[in-house]
Amino acid sequence: MSKRSSSTSTRGLSRREFITRGAAAAGGLAAAPYLLGGSPAWGAAGAGADVGGKLDVLNWILYIDKKSKKDFSAQTGIKLKYSDGIDDNNTFFAKYQEQFANGDHIGFDIVMPTTWMAARLIELGYVQPLPFDLMENAGNLKSELQDPVWDPTGEFTLPWQTGYTGIAYNIEVTGREITSVEDLFDPEFKGKVGWLLEMRDSLTLAMLSTGMTREEIAAGVTFNDAKPAFDRLEDAAQSGQIRRFTGNSYQQQLLSGDFALNVAWSGDVGQLSLSEPNLRFVVPEEGANGFWADVMCMVATSDRNEQVAAWCDYFYDPVNAARVAAYTNYISPLADITDELAAVDPAASENPILFPPQDVLDRLVQFPLLDPDEEERFDERYAEITGA
Amino acid sequence: MAGAVESAPKRGRFAPYGLLSPGIIWLTLFFLVPVAILLRAALSDQPERFVPSDLDFTWKWSNFSDGLDRFGPQFLDALRNALIAAAIVAAITVAVFVARRDLWHRIRVRLVGALVAAFFATYIITSTIDGWGDHFQRSFLYAGIATLLCIAIGYPLAYVIAFRGGTYKNLLLGLVVVPFFTTYLIRTIAWQTILFDEGPVVGFLQDVGLFGDSDRLLATPGAVIGGLTYNFLPFMILPIYVSLEKIDRSLVDAARDLYSTPARAFQKVVLPLSLPGVFAGTLLTFIPASGDFINAELLGSPTTSMIGNVVQNQFLVQLDYPTAAALSFVLMAIITIAVLVYAKVLGTEDLTG
Repeated sequence: MSKRSSSTSTRGLSRREFITRGAAAAGGLAAAPYLLGGSPAWGAAGAGADVGGKLDVLNWILYIDKKSKKDFSAQTGIKLKYSDGIDDNNTFFAKYQEQFANGDHIGFDIVMPTTWMAARLIELGYVQPLPFDLMENAGNLKSELQDPVWDPTGEFTLPWQTGYTGIAYNIEVTGREITSVEDLFDPEFKGKVGWLLEMRDSLTLAMLSTGMTREEIAAGVTFNDAKPAFDRLEDAAQSGQIRRFTGNSYQQQLLSGDFALNVAWSGDVGQLSLSEPNLRFVVPEEGANGFWADVMCMVATSDRNEQVAAWCDYFYDPVNAARVAAYTNYISPLADITDELAAVDPAASENPILFPPQDVLDRLVQFPLLDPDEEERFDERYAEITGA
Repeated sequence: MAGAVESAPKRGRFAPYGLLSPGIIWLTLFFLVPVAILLRAALSDQPERFVPSDLDFTWKWSNFSDGLDRFGPQFLDALRNALIAAAIVAAITVAVFVARRDLWHRIRVRLVGALVAAFFATYIITSTIDGWGDHFQRSFLYAGIATLLCIAIGYPLAYVIAFRGGTYKNLLLGLVVVPFFTTYLIRTIAWQTILFDEGPVVGFLQDVGLFGDSDRLLATPGAVIGGLTYNFLPFMILPIYVSLEKIDRSLVDAARDLYSTPARAFQKVVLPLSLPGVFAGTLLTFIPASGDFINAELLGSPTTSMIGNVVQNQFLVQLDYPTAAALSFVLMAIITIAVLVYAKVLGTEDLTG
C-alpha cells in the first residue's frame, strides 16, 4: 500500500504545450487525435480495440486486482509488464532521479506517484503530457478532481485512486468516540498516538489544531503560518504524547492496540474496518487533508502514446474502475460508479468511508502549494520533529 | 639448466599479486570508488534541491561544519562516546581475559581501568547536562550497549557449542544462522509483534510487577538496543566459535594436570585464546550497529533515532546529498578512531601471544 498526500510543489514551471484537461477530454471525445493524425486503428478504438504493442507500468503495491491486469491485456492485445515497485514517494524519486535527469528511459511508461511528487516530476520535465486526445473515457473524471492544485494545466496527470486523511481509532482502547483534532493531544492517550510521516497530512491537522481555518489553509501556507503547528507537534513528540510517526505500518499497530488513535488514510481503514468492527475512522470536526490522489503520469522518454491511452481508457471505464476500487477500498476518481461497485461488492457501495456524506466532504481541505523557497524549510523542520 | 632454476622464483614473484587481485579489484570497485564518489559529494554544492544527480564539485568543506552544526552540535561528545564504548568493551575484555602476570601487563590493565573510570565519570556528568539529545551520541551509546550484550549472550553460547556441542555442533551452528534466512527487515518487524503493548512479554512483565500499566517496551531505547543486539548476535557468536573451536584441548588438560581448577583453567587458557574471536566479533557488531537505522525506525520513537536515520533521511527524503555524504564521513571517521583505540588497547597479539 502506499503513502499518500495531496499537495504539490511547483515552481517556475517550464510548460510544454498547454492543453487543458477539458479541452483534451473534449478532443478525445471528438475523435480528433492530432498526434496520430486520425490513425484508422484508433478510429475503431474504444473498449475492445486491439491496440497491440507493449506497456510497462509502475504502481504501488496492492493497488490493482489480478483480473484487471489479465483482462486489460486480453482486451487491448497489449503485452503488459506491471510492477508494484513503489512503496514510498521519496524512495521512488531517489531511485530514478538520476536516470530521469540523464534522459534515460527508466523502463516504465506509466508511473503513479502521489500528487505532490507528480508535481515535482512535472516541474523537472521528467514526465510528458498524457495523450488525452487518444482517450475516450477521461471525461469520467470527478468534477472535484478536474481542477487540481498539483497539475494546474491538467495535462500531465490522471488520478488512479484517491482518498482523504482523518483519524483512525480503536474504540476498545480509546473507550470513547473521537471527534476532534484535540483528541490527538489528549494526555489520556499519551504514548498511544500515531501521526503520519507524510508532512502534508499531519501538518493540516496540526495547523487546524492551532487555530487556522480551512479557508486560511486553502488560501496558502507560509512557514510562519505553520510555525505554531510545528511547535505543537514537536512538544507532543518530545513529551512522549506521540508514540511514532509512521507510513502505512500504522495498520498493524492500530490493530494490536499500540495506537489508540492515529492520523490515517481513508482507504486503509476502509479495508480494515470491514473485518474489525472496533476500528473507526473520522474526519475531525476541524477538518483534514483531502482529496489527495496517486496519479498516472507518462514518463518523458516513453513513445507509447496509444498504449498509455488504452490503459487510461480501460481504467476510466466505470465497470473496470469499480472492480479496482472494490479491491483497493480507496475512492475511485470516476464521477459515479455506485451501481457498478454495488454489482461487484454490495457492502463496499454502502461504506460511508468510500462514499463520504456531504458534511464530511465539506470538512476536507486540499493542502496548498508551498512556496518553492520555503518547502525545504518545511521538510527539514518536519524531519527534525519526526526524529530524522 | 641455470636459467630454468632462476625462472621459477621469477614466476612465483607475481603469484601473490595474482592471488590478491580479486580482493583488490573487489575493494577498489565496491569500496574505494564509492568512497571517492561519496567524498566528492561531501565536498560539492547542490544547486537544485530536487536534482541531487547534478552536483558542482567546489571543495565545499563547509558541508562538514554545516552538517555537524545541525546534527551533532557536540562532535567531541560523539567522539568521546565512541571512545567510551570502545574503552569499556576493551577494559571488560582485558579485565576478564588477563593472562599474563608480568609487570608491564598489570600496569596496562590498571591504566585501562583508570581510563575507563575517568570516561565513565565524564560521561555521567556530561550526560546529565546534555541528555541523550544528539543522534551521534545515541548511535554509539546504543551500539556500545548492544555490543556488550552480544558478548554477554554470544560468548557462553559459542562456548557451549564449541566444547559441549558434540554431535549436535553443526545443528546448533545452523540454528544460530537460521534467522538469516529471513530478511533483516522482517526479523525486526517481527519484534513489533512480540513486544507490542498488549502482547505476552509486556503482559508478563506487568504480571510480575516489574512494569506499571502505562509502561511499554516498543518505542523505547530498550527496544532499539534489543533489536540491535538480536540482529547482530550471530556476527558475535560465529567468530568467537571459530576461535574457541581451534583451541587445542590438551592445553586445558595440561592446566588441569598442573592442579588448576576448571574455572582457573578456563580463565588462564580458554579465555585468552578466544580473545581474537571477541575482537573480531566486536568489530563486526559495533561498526554496523553504529550506522544502523532500521531498528531505530521500526522499534524506536521520535526521540530514539540514530545517526543512520539522519543520513537516510538526508539522502532519500531531503535529497541533500552533500550533507548526507558529509555526515557519513564523520561517522566513518569516528568509527575509525574508536576502532584504532580499541585495537591499540586490546592489542590481540599482546594478549594472546
